[in-house]
Amino acid sequence: MQLWQVHGAMDVRWMLRDIRTLLTFVIADSLSSIASASAIFLLAERFGAIGRWRADQIVFMLAYAMVVSGLPYLFFNYNVSYISRRVGRGQWDHTLIQPNPIWMSLLTEGFSPFSAIMAVLPGLALLAWAIPRAAPPLTLGWLALLLLNLSASVIIALAFSFLWGSLAFWAPRAAEELNLSTWKLLDQLKQFPLDGLGALLTGGLLTIVPSGFLAWYPCRTLLNIDTRPAGPMVTPLAAGVTALLATWVFRRGMKQYGRTGSQRYLSFGHRR
Amino acid sequence: MGAPDHNDISPSDTVVDLIGVCKTYRQKQRSAKLSEVFRTMLRPQIRQVEALREITMQVGRGEVLAYAGPNGAGKSTTIKLLSGLLAPDAGTVRVLGLDPIRHRTQYVRRIGVVFGQRTELWWDQPIAASFEWKRVVWDVPRPRYERMLGLLKELLGLDELFHSLARELSLGQKMRADLGMALLHEPEILFLDEPTLGLDVLAKRDILRFITDLNREQRITVVVTSHDMSDLEQLAGRIVLIHKGRIAFDGSWERLRREFTDQRRLLLEIAGGPPPILTAATLVSNEAGRCEYVFDAGHKSIAALLAEAAAQVEILDVETHRAAIDDVIADIYERWQQDGTRSHEGGLAKTSAP
Amino acid sequence: MRSPILVTSHYVRTAAMATTSVVGDSPLFLVDYLLRFARVAVLLSLWRIILADKGPVSGMTLSAVLTYTLISEIFAEQLACRANMEMTLWEGTIAVRSLQPMSLVGQLAAEMAGRWLLGLILVSAPLLLSAGLWGVDARPATAAAGALFVLSMALSISVGLALEMLFGALVVALQESIWLVQQLRNAITTVLSGALLPLALLPWGLGGVFAWLPFASQASAPLRIYTNTGDAAQLLAIQAGWSLLLWPMAHWFWQANREKLTAYGG
Repeated sequence: MQLWQVHGAMDVRWMLRDIRTLLTFVIADSLSSIASASAIFLLAERFGAIGRWRADQIVFMLAYAMVVSGLPYLFFNYNVSYISRRVGRGQWDHTLIQPNPIWMSLLTEGFSPFSAIMAVLPGLALLAWAIPRAAPPLTLGWLALLLLNLSASVIIALAFSFLWGSLAFWAPRAAEELNLSTWKLLDQLKQFPLDGLGALLTGGLLTIVPSGFLAWYPCRTLLNIDTRPAGPMVTPLAAGVTALLATWVFRRGMKQYGRTGSQRYLSFGHRR
Repeated sequence: MGAPDHNDISPSDTVVDLIGVCKTYRQKQRSAKLSEVFRTMLRPQIRQVEALREITMQVGRGEVLAYAGPNGAGKSTTIKLLSGLLAPDAGTVRVLGLDPIRHRTQYVRRIGVVFGQRTELWWDQPIAASFEWKRVVWDVPRPRYERMLGLLKELLGLDELFHSLARELSLGQKMRADLGMALLHEPEILFLDEPTLGLDVLAKRDILRFITDLNREQRITVVVTSHDMSDLEQLAGRIVLIHKGRIAFDGSWERLRREFTDQRRLLLEIAGGPPPILTAATLVSNEAGRCEYVFDAGHKSIAALLAEAAAQVEILDVETHRAAIDDVIADIYERWQQDGTRSHEGGLAKTSAP
Repeated sequence: MRSPILVTSHYVRTAAMATTSVVGDSPLFLVDYLLRFARVAVLLSLWRIILADKGPVSGMTLSAVLTYTLISEIFAEQLACRANMEMTLWEGTIAVRSLQPMSLVGQLAAEMAGRWLLGLILVSAPLLLSAGLWGVDARPATAAAGALFVLSMALSISVGLALEMLFGALVVALQESIWLVQQLRNAITTVLSGALLPLALLPWGLGGVFAWLPFASQASAPLRIYTNTGDAAQLLAIQAGWSLLLWPMAHWFWQANREKLTAYGG
């Protein structure tokens, strides 16, 4: 809590250093958040529906996707969610000389509750608008499932990022910007409803590149488009599996780093 | 202060204990040709670099150790091993009785590390915010933090910088702030990797004076690397010279000069005429009756040279200077380059296992 | 006066360096290319779902939309035209570039072309050759459309480079975070360029408005010419017009911010 507090305070200080910076960030983050979902939204508006998804259900899915995109930015900023940059640029030492377990440093160092809020707020607002229109009757149980699935989707996104980002322990130069590619992969594909894709492609987008779990699959189950009984628990289960896998690979990477260290150092993005 | 020979360090006073430490890196070799790029990617040629070979060394509590060597000798690798950032391939590393890797979180609470080319400061935050962050992350109790902050502000002149953004500071100011941050939690040992890199003369002097005062008053052990030999000579009583991963010398500056070279300069002011020809001394300049010679005091005494000169010319004045330590070290490095490892593994390494 | 061949060789060598830099020392650079295959697969399926059993929508048949989407992905890098001006400013290497005996635009364009080479070989060519397997007719609508597409691509690259220089100058002028300007630019071009969605298929007549903007000249114009879903003469004229307008603007902007550039970018 203390660590979150100190990072939150630093974030406020940073945001408020300059009115122009404050406004620019607020506008840029909002625009970026909205733009990421606009393409599919506009299609849904034009055609009234996409496959089995009504326009309001599409909006729900896009809002869900926006929140899932924004939360890693809010909690894991400063390249924590882009771990390949930290490791690839030789900045991992800065984390190693801190007297906290690695997980604690990673959980707290990227906390940016003010600078990143506009990456989440538009999504939350849209979600609040879409829920009464698209969701089944609102109950505490359903809200709990929504929160569970949202958390699971975020965990899957982060775990995927760490899974690939850990490759920077073995190939720091080549993998430095790998997380830029992995996040692009997830962000660009998560906004699409994936019904009607072949089994192979759908399977791939729920396993190898799990962007299907970042909005489409959990929303299908939450909106009763998929009525299989265990549906809403599949995403949390996938989150558990992905997280375990990512942790295993990351630990292996840490061992490798202990053997080889890093011969490069670039200060870009470090505590900036 | 006199440099304790490492053999004088009792086990209870030892804070750094390296025994038989080895470290090897593997470097991929790449071709610049487009046609070979894919081949070297799929089947890379690997070059093994032995960064450290059988390093055995102890540092006593309260010592200031200078750790020097030519580029690529293994200095930064050693600092990283001591900081817990790297594990040795063989041998043991113990600092303050702890294994830096296995006991990382416990260990880093007791050490301070400053890398000259990196900063721990938050770029877009005032120094005060970075210090507060340090207090929280290192769990420094508030009274202790306030005490140390007051002391460091005074010793490092941080008052004027305290509310400035790190990005707006000069290199020297950043280094002062980084040093302050590294000491905030009162570490028992301080590792400094090129702390005076890029600093102007005044900034260097301030940093060196601060470290000397700190060592004297707080008995903080300091291990410092640098390419600036005159800085190191001011700071440390003991020097370890490392060459191609091995310790080539471990002892005092005096012994270094005596054993490698005792180059001196002799300035003779003569009444007139050609400069005297001196055996075992090289004339380097002759201007308006001032003749400067370079000689090795180990091979020829000053008295003998003066006698030789007096036999040839009338001497009006005499000055002698020791060679600057940078020149001494440069000569050593040059000799190593020419001789390879042969000249140093045999006769000059004075480090034996304790 | 140096010979054109010698001068060209400087840029060719620069491009070659950029190509080898992409490869690096590990196959991880392929991840970006995998994204492109995944993206085109998803988009093609999406269009088949949306436009199934529908006739032409805003003059675009399902077949034309599929061709549009595939060609958009095949030439994705060329249509986006990113010369990494922001990275040059972020890394502070712009000052070093000013010391090289080549124009800044030339250097960036050469490096951009060098980075394109691998993508063309590893993604564009396979996608084009396997179009039949995707169920897409990748041929231009007519031979004339194919020829005009080449001209339109050249203009698209010209507009793209000019926008790149302008956004770079904006970063310097505002002294703002490069990342911020990049975010803004990505947000704007996602929808406005027509690379992801044909502008004609946007609701509320938005496509008609966006078609006049310079971003549409980057992607929408050449793609519409290729699929013969737009007035080629009008589209080429708009592209040429933007090219003629944006380059002097970019030049003026850079000159006006030269001093700020020295402080910011080096």
